[in-house]
Formats: sequence, structure tokens, C-alpha cells
Amino acid sequence: MLVRYVARRFLASLVVVLGVTLITLILMDRTRGTYVPGIDLNPSLRPEDIEHLRENLGLDRPFYVWYLTWLGSVLHGDFGHSMIDGSPVLSHILDRLPNTLELTATAIVIGVLVAVPLGVIGALRRGSKTDHALTVTSVAGFAVPQFWMGLMLILIFSVTLEQHGLPWLPSSGAFSAFNGGDFLDRVEHLVLPATVLSFFYTSQWSRFIRSSMLEVLSQDYIRTARAKGMSERRVVYLHGLRNALIPLITLIGLELPGLVSGGLVVEVVFGWPGIGKLAFERALQYDYTTVMGVTFFATLLVIAGNLLADLLYGALDPRIRYG
Amino acid sequence: MIGPSRVAELDMPAAGVETAAARPAQSYWNQSWERLRANRLGMAAGVLILVLAVIAVLAPVFSAVLTHYQPQTINLDQTFARPGATHLLGSDELGRDSLTRLIWGARVSLGVAFLTVALALTVGTTVGMVAGYYGGWIDDVLMRLVDTVLAIPAIFLFILMSILFRPNAVTLAAIVASVGWGSVARLVRGEVLSVKQRDFILATRSIGARDSRLMVRHLLPNVLPVLIVAASLGVGQIILIEAALDFLGLGIQPPTPSWGNMLTNAQSYFFHSGFLVAFPGITIFVTVLASNIFGNGVRDAFDPRLKG
Repeated sequence: MLVRYVARRFLASLVVVLGVTLITLILMDRTRGTYVPGIDLNPSLRPEDIEHLRENLGLDRPFYVWYLTWLGSVLHGDFGHSMIDGSPVLSHILDRLPNTLELTATAIVIGVLVAVPLGVIGALRRGSKTDHALTVTSVAGFAVPQFWMGLMLILIFSVTLEQHGLPWLPSSGAFSAFNGGDFLDRVEHLVLPATVLSFFYTSQWSRFIRSSMLEVLSQDYIRTARAKGMSERRVVYLHGLRNALIPLITLIGLELPGLVSGGLVVEVVFGWPGIGKLAFERALQYDYTTVMGVTFFATLLVIAGNLLADLLYGALDPRIRYG
Repeated sequence: MIGPSRVAELDMPAAGVETAAARPAQSYWNQSWERLRANRLGMAAGVLILVLAVIAVLAPVFSAVLTHYQPQTINLDQTFARPGATHLLGSDELGRDSLTRLIWGARVSLGVAFLTVALALTVGTTVGMVAGYYGGWIDDVLMRLVDTVLAIPAIFLFILMSILFRPNAVTLAAIVASVGWGSVARLVRGEVLSVKQRDFILATRSIGARDSRLMVRHLLPNVLPVLIVAASLGVGQIILIEAALDFLGLGIQPPTPSWGNMLTNAQSYFFHSGFLVAFPGITIFVTVLASNIFGNGVRDAFDPRLKG
């Protein structure tokens, strides 16, 4: 049953990946005109050389031919070469992907670790001053532009602290260029971007946990647990929280496209060498192959995340059956 | 407690033919409006949005009377002026007055946001209604399309389309709406699926109403509350998206001021003029906060089931 479900989801995902890459290519195709990426860097090229280059890159062919050729090589694990620097797209992506995963995973973990206790406190002390304060904070959290929060954190924790001769946090990159790269150095670089990325999700998820917890605590089985004399602590954590957390997993799965998008803006603000920044810079340079590769990977990540969330949901909640 | 009030009602002088009318005519819309009006915070937020909208529309008047500057007038003698008497909120690297540019920027932010919501609602409602009403393969095809649109990390689409279209306010709204309609379509389809099971739809169809009439006259009014809620909750998110695109240099292009593109070069003023970074962000924050609070108020008033 489960195997059939995964297989069906996999096929549906294939359709989505095809759709996404096709849309990407059509958009890229419309932008290119007669432009060959990187051509303006070399003024000594003759017209026949340019024609030759275009043929080499496959730009003389209509977009559907290009797309099918591209799909064919992707099936063989070949994502082609960057149109800007000629290096393999796959190695570009594999270089950057760990950085993106590091930032995203940290943000999700921090988000959950902060959101769950806040949500539980809000639910248990419903209507109290603490609850109201948490509500206000989370409503405010929704309204802060991520890129601006990044700028302000840099202004405060990098620029101002440095100006006053205090210890400051690095504002750009994933590690120091000189003598950098050890664990502590990476953590220092991670603090600001991960704070920005997790802030928005904390405000969203804590609200969600709060209402999910309130709903669970009003269930009959909670009353039963209390009625048979179970301690309040056990009721709340063993029966309440465990069930209240299940829907959060689906929510995080559904939020993945947003995490990737938010991640891109944060990566650009903090100069974080991830796939978002890569896609942003290469799109501005009309580097088809790289953009197609990144879109493909990002979509795959999103779909895999959604599927994982669904499967986890089923594992955690035995009432769910895959049909 | 029920007894006395019943009696009071029956004793009313206009009883008789007028009985039905004598009860307070509380339509769904009246009730919702009353609930919204009772929410003082929500109403205050709504009024703030209204004031911002008026400022945006009357930007030329405000910049002539209040600030005495034009948004694009360069004055190289007064670059990076601190906030004070000459420039209330300071001036930027070209000596342009920040407050004036914020006022004109409101046109972009609010204009694009409202236009985006309108476009996304129109397309999303049409698609969702057709998919939900006809079902079958039409539903399958349309919903797979929605899945695809929602599976792309939206920012990639925005980047590609912005490079393609070099957006002005209208194309920018179209770009953001090209993703936003997906979730509206899902929402509307869900509502239509449940509404179309009800008896009055069967009744309407059995007296020979055409599909188009059924959809516009009978389904649309029933999904309207969901649409109103989606619209008022959407404005804030779209202001944020638009500002981020402007910031990345993909939205409204300078010299036209927008809240987002005023921050594009912010990183280069960090060391001497932090206020240039603070003010546009605070403006965005307050506006989005007000839209969200108003949106929550509208949701609680129009769809009490969802009250959080």
C-alpha cells in the first residue's frame, strides 16, 4: 500500500518537475533573444565565431529541442556546463548545496526549538499577559521584511559593534577567507542569517502550535487521562504535545518553497554562498544551464520535503492510511 | 430568558404582516460588519491603511505642502543630511529628501499590492470555480497546474520574469499575481466543492439555470466571504514580496522611489547614515503590520469558524 502510494506520488512529482523546468526554460528562452552569454566580454570575436558559439551552446535550436536535449542529458546525470565559466553545472550546485542545507536546517531546527515551548506556554496560559505578549510578538514577526531585518542586524551586530571596538559578528559569507573554515568560524558566520531565517518561522509556528495544542487539550482522551488521575505534566507532554506536534510536520513540509525563497533573499543579503544566491546571480547573467540546474534541484528538494512530511505524518498518526 | 423577549417581540405595534421585517434585518453582511466594527484594533489598523492610501493618492500635494521637495530632485550639496529641520527624515546619497521619497513610494507599494490582489483573486476564482464545478479531467488538469505553480520556489519565477519584463508597477503586479492565484484557486475550489452539494444548487439546476448563471449568481456569492478574507490577509504578504523584489533590483527601477529600492544600496551607507536603512524598513513594517491586523479582524468578522 505504502509502496504504491510513494510510487504514485513520485509520478505526480515527475509531472511537476517537468512543468517547472519547462516554465523556467520558456522564460529563459524569451529573455535571450540573440544573446550569447558572456559574448560582451570578448570584443575580438568575429560574427562567424559568434555563430559557432551559438551552435556549440545549442542556442540556434528552438527551445523545445533544447529542452529535450537537456532532459536527455539530465537523465544521464549530466547537467551540462555553465554558459558563463564553462565548468560543470553539477559541481557548481554540489559546491553550494551544503551551504544552503546548513543554513536552512539550522533555521528550521532553531525555529522548532523556539516555537514549540512558546506555543505550549501560550496554550497553557491562554488569555494571560504572557499569552498576549507572545501573540503581539508573533503578529509583529509576520510583518518584518526579512531582507530589512538582515540589514538591521548587520548594522547593529557587525557595523556598530565594530565601530565601538567591541566583538562583532561577521556579516558576509559562510566562513572567513583567511585562516577560516573551522567549526567556530562557521558558527559565527551562521548566527545572523540563521536568526533572520528562523525568526519568521518561529512567529508562524508558535501560533500554530498554540492553536493545535488548544485543540488537542480539549479532546476527550485528554479528559480521560486527567480523570484517571494522571499528573498534569504527563497529560500535557505525553498526550497533549505529542499529538499537537503532528500537524506541524505537514506545515513545515508545505512551507519548504517559502523557506527556499526566503533563503534566497537572506543568502543575497548576507553573501551566503548557497544555491539561492547562485541562481540569483546566474539568472542576471542569462546562464541558462546553471539556472535550469538550480531550479531542478530546488524543485526536487521541495517535492522530496513534501513527500517526507506526508510519510512522517502517516508514521506518527496511525489513523492516517495511504490509499 | 427566552420567554420575555419573545413576548416583547409579539407585543410590538407593527406586528402582523410586518412581523418578519420588524425583527432587526441582520443579513450575513450586516452581522459581519457589526463584528468588524466592534474590533477596535482592527478598525484602527484599517483606518491607518486608508490614511496611507490617501497619502499615496495625494502624494504630489503632500510633497508640495509638507516637505517642499520633489522625489527625484537631486541636490549634491545636501547628500546624507541628518534628519532635522531641512530634511525631516534626512536625505540620501544624491541629496533627495527621504520623507518625500517615502510618500511617493507609498504609491508603488500600495498600488502594486492592491492590483496584485485584484489580479490574483480574479484568475484564482475563475480557475478554482471552473475546476470545482466541472470536476473530472478539467479539475485534474487545472489542479496539476496549480500544484506546479505552487511547487516552484516563487522567487525563481519572479527573478526570471523580472529579467524578462523589466517591470513597471503593472507588470510587477502581474508577475506577483502569476504565482498568487494558485492558492486562491485551491481555496475557491474547496469551497465550491462543498457548496455545490447543497440542495439549492440542485434546485436551481432543476429549473434549468445555465452553468454560467449558476456559477456567477449562486456559487460566487457563497465563496465571497472566503475571497474577502483571502484578499485582506494577502495585502501584507504582497507588500513584503514587492519590497524584497525592489530591494534585489528586480522590481520598480530607480529613480522612481519605492520602499524596497530605497534600501538597495543601503549596505554602502552603513558606516555613516544608518537612518537611511531604518526609515524605509519601519515604514514597510508598520504598513504590513496594519494590513495583517486588519486582515485578521476581517477574518474573525467574516469567517468566525477560523477565529484563532
